[in-house]
Amino acid sequence: MIISSSKTFEEVLVFLEGIDNVFVIGCNVCAARLHVGGEPEVLDMCAKLKAAGKNVVGWALPTAACSIQSYEKLVEKGPGIQKADAILVMACGSGTSVVSMLVDVPVYPSNNTDSLGGRSQEQVIPHLCEMCGACNIQEFGGICPKANCPKGLLNGPCGGSISGKCEVDTEQECAWELIYRQLEKTGRLKLLEKIIGPRDYN
Amino acid sequence: MVSTFSEKLQSHRSIITTEITPPKGVETSSFLSDAKKLKHCVDAFNVTDNQRAVMRMSPLAVGKLLKDAGHETILQITCRDRNRLALQSDLLGAWALGIKNICVMTGDHTTKGDHPGAKPVFDLDSVQLLEVVRKLKEGYDLSGNCLEQPPDFVVGAVSNTDPTQPMQHIKLRKKVSMGLDFIQTQAVYDTEEFACFLEKINDIDVPIIAGVIPLRSAKMAKFMNTHIPGIRIPDELISRMEHAEEPLQEGIEIAAQLIRELKNMCKGIHLMPVGQHTHTKELLKISGSISGRQYNGQ
Repeated sequence: MIISSSKTFEEVLVFLEGIDNVFVIGCNVCAARLHVGGEPEVLDMCAKLKAAGKNVVGWALPTAACSIQSYEKLVEKGPGIQKADAILVMACGSGTSVVSMLVDVPVYPSNNTDSLGGRSQEQVIPHLCEMCGACNIQEFGGICPKANCPKGLLNGPCGGSISGKCEVDTEQECAWELIYRQLEKTGRLKLLEKIIGPRDYN
Repeated sequence: MVSTFSEKLQSHRSIITTEITPPKGVETSSFLSDAKKLKHCVDAFNVTDNQRAVMRMSPLAVGKLLKDAGHETILQITCRDRNRLALQSDLLGAWALGIKNICVMTGDHTTKGDHPGAKPVFDLDSVQLLEVVRKLKEGYDLSGNCLEQPPDFVVGAVSNTDPTQPMQHIKLRKKVSMGLDFIQTQAVYDTEEFACFLEKINDIDVPIIAGVIPLRSAKMAKFMNTHIPGIRIPDELISRMEHAEEPLQEGIEIAAQLIRELKNMCKGIHLMPVGQHTHTKELLKISGSISGRQYNGQ
């Protein structure tokens, strides 16, 4: 799941300064699950925009904003888009990009795209994967230090953790603490001795 | 007997190193004057690399100025600010400028310093950077291209001394496998705990230089206990600082006592007086550590 979070409404209003006719597009997958782009949030955004004096010409909630097939499909979902001077997308950067490719008016994001994460037991887990294109998560007990460690260290923790907490965010556990525990649990501590070479960014 | 840092590491004599923090600005006389005062008291000056992620003068430039003034220097090099190209070119540059000793470390995260919005690089980690150094010494860059003439660095790395952190010990062993000439530790305040740490890593045959930071107040001690990773100051020492009539002097006494004990447990002492050397000479004198130290033919 792509983790995104809402910009403040004030920021959104700055984007839309001087623009009257606004169409709003949400996303019924990740953004909906995170409550930053599902139907309730889209309707709330429409109401706030109206209250701020904007003419909301319609809205649409595609299944996934990043996978909209065509402009025509968007018109089917919300014919008002044809009268729009600008479109506000309540999705991740991928969704906003796809919408931008399909329309001829300016597109603005209402969300910031933060990371590739997940949700389990009602908890949002923000950093799970860095999409490096060379997955070797099995070396780390299924906990990727490229995504979980702010320094992306591949050969063990830095000296910055205090009592097993991360140097950067002391509320978070050190990624290597989690990796150690997971490998201990699965009887694979030996993996920790392996030297992992530099990443290939090519 | 005048010898290089490398020769001293291999000798039976105890080593004393200390830190020089590069200036925030282009004023160079203060650190050069500190170094001059301590010239015959220490074996080498360790030049910090944007320590705590606070932007300062390049340690390469400071190292060169110290070298020109006749001092033995150890260049700290972190993984935070440079990618693999920049790290390698700085290492080659350091050697060409006459800096023969380096100490490799990960580096504090950018968010902890005075440019929190900076991009943290960490293209390599400390183990990988040590591998780069090994390759450079063998005459190749990281991509396997031949060097015209390889550098021959004396290579150090750092470690915490917490005996209860097996993951730290595993990482230290990885560093050792890359070829280390010395290990410099975080500040030690509990010699019994340090003995446990040494026991945990007794398979490692690399000279260990124990870190010492003189305490200035009980408040500083408490702050370090909660905010500085890898440091644990026993309650007994905090109590001594609290009840001391002159905390600064008490801190020096404590540090001197630590130096005396630690000198017998490992290869030497790395003194980190947190930015100021006002009492360094006095401390080394009290701890019985001054005996005409000289370096590198100077």
